[in-house]
Amino acid sequence: MLRFIIRRILQAIPTVIAVALLIFVIFSVVPGSFTSSLIADGRSGSDPMLVERLNKEFGLDKSLPERFTAYVYDLARFDLGTSFRTREPVTDVIGARLWPSLKLAMAAMVFAVAFGVPLGFLAALKPGSILDTVTMIGAVSGLSLPQFWLGLLLMYLFALQLGWLPSFGYGDGGLRYLILPAITLGLTPLALLARTTRAGVLEVMNADFIRTAYSKGMSSGRVVRWHVTRNALVLIVTTIGLQFGSLMGQAVVIEKLFSWPGLGSLLVDSVALRDIPVVQGSILVIVLWFLLINTIVDVVYAAIDPRIKQD
Amino acid sequence: MRIQFNLIVGGFLTALVILAGLFAPWLSHLDPVLDADLMNAELPPDWTFWFGTDAQGRDIYTRVLYGARISLTVGIVSQLINTVIGLALGISAGYFGGWWDDLVNGLTNVMLAIPSLIFAIAIIAILGPGLPSLLIALGLTNWSWTCRIARSSTLSLKGLGYVQAAKTLGYGNIRIMITQLLPNMMGPILVIGTLGMGGAVLSEAALSFLGLGIRPPFPSWGSMLTDARELIVIAPWAAIFPGLAIFLSVLGFNLLGDGLRDMLDPHMRIRRA
Amino acid sequence: MFKTLSLTAMLMLGVSTATFAQEPRSGGVLNFVAPYGASFATLDIHATPQTQDEFYGMAIHRSLYSWDSLKNEPALELATSVSVSDDGKVYTYKLRDNAFFHNGRKLSADDIIWSYKRLATPSNAFPGARYIADIAGADAFASGKATEISGLKKIDDLTLEITFTAPINPGFNLMRTNAAIYPADIGDKAATNPIGLGPFKFVEHVPGSRIVVEKFDKFYEQGKPYLDKVNIVIMEDSAARDVAFRNQEIDVTVLGPTQYVAYQGDAALSKNILEVAEGYTRNVGFNPNFAPFADKRVRQAINYAIDTKLIVERLAKNKAYRAVSWLPLSSPAYDTTAQPYAYDPEKAKALLAEAGFDKGFEFELTATQNESWGIPIVEAIIPMLAKVGVTVKAKPVEASVLSEVVPAGDFQAYMWSNNSGPDALAALQCFYSKTAQSACNYANYKNPEFDKLFEAAQVERDEAAKTELLKKANNFLQEEAPVWFFNYNKAVMAYQPWLHGLKPNATELALQDYEDIWIDETAPASRK
Repeated sequence: MLRFIIRRILQAIPTVIAVALLIFVIFSVVPGSFTSSLIADGRSGSDPMLVERLNKEFGLDKSLPERFTAYVYDLARFDLGTSFRTREPVTDVIGARLWPSLKLAMAAMVFAVAFGVPLGFLAALKPGSILDTVTMIGAVSGLSLPQFWLGLLLMYLFALQLGWLPSFGYGDGGLRYLILPAITLGLTPLALLARTTRAGVLEVMNADFIRTAYSKGMSSGRVVRWHVTRNALVLIVTTIGLQFGSLMGQAVVIEKLFSWPGLGSLLVDSVALRDIPVVQGSILVIVLWFLLINTIVDVVYAAIDPRIKQD
Repeated sequence: MRIQFNLIVGGFLTALVILAGLFAPWLSHLDPVLDADLMNAELPPDWTFWFGTDAQGRDIYTRVLYGARISLTVGIVSQLINTVIGLALGISAGYFGGWWDDLVNGLTNVMLAIPSLIFAIAIIAILGPGLPSLLIALGLTNWSWTCRIARSSTLSLKGLGYVQAAKTLGYGNIRIMITQLLPNMMGPILVIGTLGMGGAVLSEAALSFLGLGIRPPFPSWGSMLTDARELIVIAPWAAIFPGLAIFLSVLGFNLLGDGLRDMLDPHMRIRRA
Repeated sequence: MFKTLSLTAMLMLGVSTATFAQEPRSGGVLNFVAPYGASFATLDIHATPQTQDEFYGMAIHRSLYSWDSLKNEPALELATSVSVSDDGKVYTYKLRDNAFFHNGRKLSADDIIWSYKRLATPSNAFPGARYIADIAGADAFASGKATEISGLKKIDDLTLEITFTAPINPGFNLMRTNAAIYPADIGDKAATNPIGLGPFKFVEHVPGSRIVVEKFDKFYEQGKPYLDKVNIVIMEDSAARDVAFRNQEIDVTVLGPTQYVAYQGDAALSKNILEVAEGYTRNVGFNPNFAPFADKRVRQAINYAIDTKLIVERLAKNKAYRAVSWLPLSSPAYDTTAQPYAYDPEKAKALLAEAGFDKGFEFELTATQNESWGIPIVEAIIPMLAKVGVTVKAKPVEASVLSEVVPAGDFQAYMWSNNSGPDALAALQCFYSKTAQSACNYANYKNPEFDKLFEAAQVERDEAAKTELLKKANNFLQEEAPVWFFNYNKAVMAYQPWLHGLKPNATELALQDYEDIWIDETAPASRK
């Protein structure tokens, strides 16, 4: 098992390196710069002296190959550089956003699993029933909604009309503030989970070994419990993992709408202000998160179904 | 039963969007941009303005009709680019194997790891906002699943008799790929493309919200929605109708994709991108 | 004339809320909004050039001067009096003897000298360096030729002498939040635990969410601040802000054109709206190196061909004042008798024909997606200019790209909103031939006659005469039309009915003097 885990981690390394290089290249050809973003609102005129000083301070006066070498050298030491804007290490800037981001992703996932899996399961037990049809239409609908529209409607309804929840922000970090963004973010994984759970359970129920189990006279309750759960689990775990891994990147729009202080809003803000080290760092962290979760999923997968390891 | 439902409803919604876009000038006598009268601003839906009017006093119904053009363009063009890239890389990787296969695989992994919305933000930052950049951004960032399917299909088709036969007949590699391999994987590719069209329409809305959308002469649903969100309290219809339009068209694409998948191969496993 | 009247009326309104209302009440919590971004950059106010960071800067920090929103001019803040030498270059400040830093230490002249040296140090690369560049010896210090700034002299702990390189009004620069005074012994804590002289002390910063400050008991103004605590919350999205404001979660909100109309139309909300003519001029700058724009008649023709009034009414929804020339309504050098360019397509056509463009021409207009000074406005211009044979091609760019290509001269025409106040001299300097395009002469304007007027104003010591010269220069600029004069921003803020003491700050309405704000009994429990 340990060898399997190590192998999976080693396999991810080239991807991480490729991503790191790719984002460097992309953001070195982006027009606009941090210094130009400073005067974008027209409040102050451009200041050539400041531009020169800042470029020197951040090493932007150096040639592209030199900057690239420095970037790679720093990365090799797990140093993401210094933010142009805050002048703090990028790791600190990102670190401050990591927990809110994780919290939102986890809350969204809990919501998705808590509703998506049981719904998909119930739907699969009676294919073609009203519950099945409604669930599946609901699931496709959930996948078809523009997220910020949904968020705005929820905000309007639960904050303004009903007054049950705060409409924005992180507040004291409590649950009240988490609910609306988490529901908005969790709807897509919920819909996907309902669909895959249903498909997985149906597939297994129709499989030969279930029929064999029936013919051996096992009660239907036990059949469902033992075989269906375990085999459908593989599919569900994969979907949960994939979704959980990509939620941090998907949260961009929702974080911005709800003024949620996560990695996504930091990223969008940093792109607009051309705070390139933070942009590179946040993308890298989002990618690492995705790869980490995927590796964990593979390991769990292997634990549920030992045959996978031979792959 | 369900297969038919998906296909029929999905096909109906998709057709509706296409027709709305094509026949917009006949379905409304107003102009989506020029017919703006401040005296008519923020009117609720009535018999004159079926969907109400927006902050500029423009007829939302008319704008939704014309908006279908942009959304369809975004959906279809970006998915065409994705499909071409995915097919070219996937088939060639599966067919030639070796270092090229490794390279394509690595690239696919990278593309999967970077969230496509974030990738699109980066590309628009380089190219500047606008319809062409949007099409390129969405077209370059969502081909990984197509590529994977094309590659695995190629791998399984490669060993089959008729492909081998074509080889012994002296067909060129490109010819084999196009005439022998491509036609045999169009089913799943079509499904992914259809589902991806929905994704592209949603991405356009998201990018609009982030201030990276398009403001073409004709309105896009994403930009309408983005503009109207400020009116959510006083003129909710201005946000509700473009939102519904996006919802229904994406729903149409998704149902159509599901229906196609169920029809072409009930056991086919295509993970949604 | 009407415009000045309305401006005065607005100023009066500000005064009246401040003085005639009931006795200020102490205590309470203010939920103020910082709408210009998704985060604060840094807690070191010297290191940040962003308006967004001034929202906490106004609470925590104080500079030598401050902006008096009611009188519409800079005022002494940390000094009680100043004497100026005959040549207008040497200022001797008598500092307050009741100003304390949040660490309990009293302000001394050393702190000011230390803070200005910190700003001027080149390796710090601080944006505030430009605001002290007029102090004698700042150059030598920056280039390493001197270890002290020669123009800064401590007479005693509470007396500071500053020598400037020219007879300028130093208030405009030294009032900037970026030029705030730190205690000389702050060390490297400026970015983690900010200490200032302001009415509120720093409590916490939740990155991307809010900064919390609380009342500083030893603040030098008697009985102030009134509030116990201010939550400065980040809220960039205008729709979310609208919901939060209506839901009474926040006490103020900044309004865009759409919401301005909506709030005006609402019986309750319309009662609590604060408007001011802000010192921003929205304009389309022409590149004189692009052949057609080298001819004044072409530039004038464009000013005649665009129905500016219609665009201000329809698109800007009257959340703007039609521009006459460069200087805004709030400027003392604004000529109240001057008339804006009339909408006259026939005259535009004639001028174009005179200039040899009777067949028209085509140009590219670089603009952002901004609703008030971006692509939506360009779209309205396109058909108007098409009528006189001029074809406009919109080139959409991101904000940080616009501010890169324009100072680099890489455009045919651009649309932007530029600061044009409060210092008329500084605003018009952007059209002085010796000002580089990479500084703020974006339209790369060069005219000896204008230079003559400007230089005369520069050295004029009599305020009235100086204002007169600037007025002439400004009117000359209108005739020259280096840009299309579009509008001056009307900044609009809505506030909750229990809030008092907001002021019509013409430099940036959203920046308020927190120490003057108070909350009455009608506030909800969460604010008490």
